[in-house]
Amino acid sequence: MKPSATPRRPKGAAPKVSRTKARAPARPESPKPKSRGGANSHQTRFSSRLRAWGRHHRAMSWDSFYRLVRHPVGNLLTMLAIAIALVLPAALWLTLDSARLLDAELDESATLTVYLQTSVDTAQAERIEQAVSAEQAVLDTRMISAEQGMVEFQQSLGLDDALAGLADNPLPASIVVRPRSVEPLAMQQLASTLEALAGVDEVRVDLAWVERLRHLAALGRRVALALGVLFGLGVLLVVGNTIRLSVESRRREIEVVMLIGATHAFVRRPFLYSGAWYGLGGGLLALGLLGLGNHWLSLPVAALAASYGASFSLPQLDMTGATILLSCSTLLGWLGAWLAVTRHLTSIRPR
Amino acid sequence: MIAFEHVGKRYGGRFEALAHLNFRVERGEMVFLTGHSGAGKSSLLRLIMRLERPSRGRVVVAGHDIAQLHASQVPFYRRQIGVVFQDHQLLFDRSVFHNVSLPLEIQGIEPRETARRVRAALDKVGLLHREKALPVELSGGEQQRVGIARAVVNKPSLLLADEPTGNLDPQLSADIMGLFEDFNRIGTTVMIASHDLALIARLRHRILRLRDGRLVADEGAV
Repeated sequence: MKPSATPRRPKGAAPKVSRTKARAPARPESPKPKSRGGANSHQTRFSSRLRAWGRHHRAMSWDSFYRLVRHPVGNLLTMLAIAIALVLPAALWLTLDSARLLDAELDESATLTVYLQTSVDTAQAERIEQAVSAEQAVLDTRMISAEQGMVEFQQSLGLDDALAGLADNPLPASIVVRPRSVEPLAMQQLASTLEALAGVDEVRVDLAWVERLRHLAALGRRVALALGVLFGLGVLLVVGNTIRLSVESRRREIEVVMLIGATHAFVRRPFLYSGAWYGLGGGLLALGLLGLGNHWLSLPVAALAASYGASFSLPQLDMTGATILLSCSTLLGWLGAWLAVTRHLTSIRPR
Repeated sequence: MIAFEHVGKRYGGRFEALAHLNFRVERGEMVFLTGHSGAGKSSLLRLIMRLERPSRGRVVVAGHDIAQLHASQVPFYRRQIGVVFQDHQLLFDRSVFHNVSLPLEIQGIEPRETARRVRAALDKVGLLHREKALPVELSGGEQQRVGIARAVVNKPSLLLADEPTGNLDPQLSADIMGLFEDFNRIGTTVMIASHDLALIARLRHRILRLRDGRLVADEGAV
């Protein structure tokens, strides 16, 4: 403010009200005002505005980061709350992911059993097996003769004596069919086709338990989704509440900057960055907790799997999963902050 | 610059803070607004700053009915007005320099230009040597001068002041008023609410006198 500057500006100093004009800071006595107008100066004004915008973003991201670091304990607790809310659905999701792997294995064991009529002899049975193999929808077949069936039955029941007393073998020969497709509908169709063949008594579809498992997995996925939504809301609330408090503690500052012409976006920016930092920190802690839990459970799980004669290890969150978790948590933090600040800004009116 | 046309302001539907206000302030004028406390001086300034909207009539600033401004335009409108508050409204967790630079930061002026203008404004109010101090380390008069520096740092065409000398002794008050006169001399329209009658009588500028929300006298108009 030099008094030697132009006395009485003829124009240009008036409060410009049209939005586009007002956005560019009116500088009636700016250092290089002589070259006004023209596309060139318009462009520089736009790019300088862009640079100013970027500068404020950078400044606010650092400022909010330092504010977090300045109160490490309280902020760490907030992040921990976020992390716990994230760990539960993430862990469930991982478990279901491994269940899906199991599901794929189960698909391979989905079979149809074709029971032949007891009157059918061995040669006929072989012809029937060929006919079954010829079907388009059949992957491969395995014949179980009546004698074989008896042996397996005796072994599985341990009823040697009782069955040995029978005069002749009451069991029919059967063909185990592995279908090309394990879709329930396709299997039903195949079953009715096979049932129509001469010499076939009955076709059983061993689908019920596969179906049940599928339903369970679908249920689990829905539960995980519902939990994810609920705990996501929880994260929103945690961040929202924290940000609400920090807005309240900086109320005076907000009032003052609004008095001197700060836009809502300007006021919101530092809080949005705080929210995003909270989310990111919570996400990183959640990753740590998942890793810790995995480590802690891996031994007993391996032992349990070994006792069933299977090798099964807990699923790890891969790079993609970790990225998704971190971006979700950051986004949730940002959104929570946005909601809190926006709701709060309407109640803050400069005095 | 400022025109009030049949302006009335009610709070809560009953209390009438301002009624039937009609006056104009030309560009480059310096005007005092006076009256006992509760006469409506602050309400009037709040209307100009668009912290409130009139219940009746129009407030026109620089040719625009400011009640028509969209909420998103209000910040840009306020940037054109410098305001000095009785309680300074300084931020106590930042230095004098950063208090004064606040309006420029909001407008996104680049740092080097900001520093230059802040120092120019601080120099004008005689506080260049205190730029690193915190507001609490300053006396009341110095704090008020920081507030003035902040109000003028982005060279507003309109400068409003609400009781800028409210808590100051006569000598300091006279100094502050001298500053406002300097800004007026370079073309800024200045409007000051004050009840320091002795002081403003000495300064020989136009005086708008309010009583119970009505304009009862308009003295010394050019």
